[in-house]
Amino acid sequence: MTSHFFWNGGPVAFRSGETIAAALLRAGITDLGRPSATPGGRVFCGIGACQGCVIAVAGAAPVEACLTPAREGLRLGPLPAIGAEHA
Amino acid sequence: MREAPILVVGAGPAGASAAATIAEAGLPVLLIEQRDQLGGAIHRQPAAGNEEHVWRPARHRRNWAALTARLQASAERIEIRTETIFLGVDSEGRFLFDDRHEACVFARRPRAAIIAVGAIETIRPFPGWELPGVMTAGGAQVLLKETGRPPEGPILLAGGGPLLPALAAQLAKAGNPPVAVLERGRPWNAPAALARLALSWAPMSEAAAYAAALAASRVPYRCGAVVTQAEPDGDGLKVSIRVGETQEPLLVRHLLIHDGIAPNRTGIPLPDPDGAVPILLAGDGREALGADAAILDGRRAAMQVLARLGHAERGAPSDERGLQRARDFQATLARALQAEPIVPPPETLICRCEGRSHADLAALAPDASAREIRLMGRFGLGACQGRFCGPMIAALRGQPLPTASPPRWPLRPVSVAALARLTIDETE
Repeated sequence: MTSHFFWNGGPVAFRSGETIAAALLRAGITDLGRPSATPGGRVFCGIGACQGCVIAVAGAAPVEACLTPAREGLRLGPLPAIGAEHA
Repeated sequence: MREAPILVVGAGPAGASAAATIAEAGLPVLLIEQRDQLGGAIHRQPAAGNEEHVWRPARHRRNWAALTARLQASAERIEIRTETIFLGVDSEGRFLFDDRHEACVFARRPRAAIIAVGAIETIRPFPGWELPGVMTAGGAQVLLKETGRPPEGPILLAGGGPLLPALAAQLAKAGNPPVAVLERGRPWNAPAALARLALSWAPMSEAAAYAAALAASRVPYRCGAVVTQAEPDGDGLKVSIRVGETQEPLLVRHLLIHDGIAPNRTGIPLPDPDGAVPILLAGDGREALGADAAILDGRRAAMQVLARLGHAERGAPSDERGLQRARDFQATLARALQAEPIVPPPETLICRCEGRSHADLAALAPDASAREIRLMGRFGLGACQGRFCGPMIAALRGQPLPTASPPRWPLRPVSVAALARLTIDETE
């Protein structure tokens, strides 16, 4: 059985146990974009230190994609995009 | 009333070794790990259910099997909290943690604390290092260990240090050998250091295995070669490479960079082995000596805590000798691979979090104070708290980026909702 979460509304498949970062990268999603003057989000250090892959989670606090196990049905997006909705 | 535990933060080789040693002496342990599985970066386990295992040296597999067996044998004395982030120590002396699974912060008062949070990779910046598609080699390696699958498309490894050929060999064995490994150092110019390295059997046999894997996959290992720039190019990156006097472009999908490791100390409590609540650092988070030494160092820290709490154990002299051997090895390796620093062009990003460039740094007064660098320059203020720009600024200015002392919590961003659900265990 394939599981999915949603990135910017589009489904992304993941395997049980893997992180959000692993699933996004396998789907070819490297730019975790951020509409601001600072550089866009991206997976970089893989250990939660650089905070470059922090993403918004609908209905919950932002998380580091590299630390967080993917879960069925999560609705994810770049930081301000979803974050603004439930601010 | 329960007996207060000894806190161990980080379940890599140092933390696992410390936790097992303390539990074996009969004391309770609270072991905190930010990921969902134990192992740290070096012993990162395949994601649960993943059958594709990446190749790794037998010595590391044996070491981790021995540590997990010890943790299991003392399991009744070790409370393990995974998916939990250490946030620091508050003004009341409580240790704070963000339980990401339960979305709440909790506080504990341990009898002593051993912080074993490992190392941070050092990066030498160049224009474009901040782009998507550029990752640290260590970050890519932990992903590979979890997924068992290499990234798709052409991969270039660049920077300096032994992690580059190690990762290149693992990528090759997993089915996607990198197009090249660029090592900025010129080890052949340091024959004395190379000769000394050859005397260290375990790391050298590991290096020989990597070299064989690279040769079998025809991966070029080019010394004295550096990346000078990366630019977006379609779905990938156009990387400019300099070897000696010649510049050449290379089109890749992934650029994996790494220039060594340094202890992860940002926001970490200062060591205080003689305090009312003794605090010790262990492993690469204390001194970056590698995975084997981290096991010894975890035990050393545990022995120090046990002695301090009246459990009379003393450190083994063999641990000290092992740590000194690792120190000598790392120093020799650094001599073999040393490379002159390159001053990056003005447009190079230094602080990725706040989008601050080398020109912004250079515009600060040469004698700018710590406050000025942070508050006027806005360096070291962002979400990463200077973990990456700090060493860059230290290299460019010749002095470290000052940090708050004593460290302030939280050392990672934490949600207000999780803080509002704070639970304090006052039974201890």
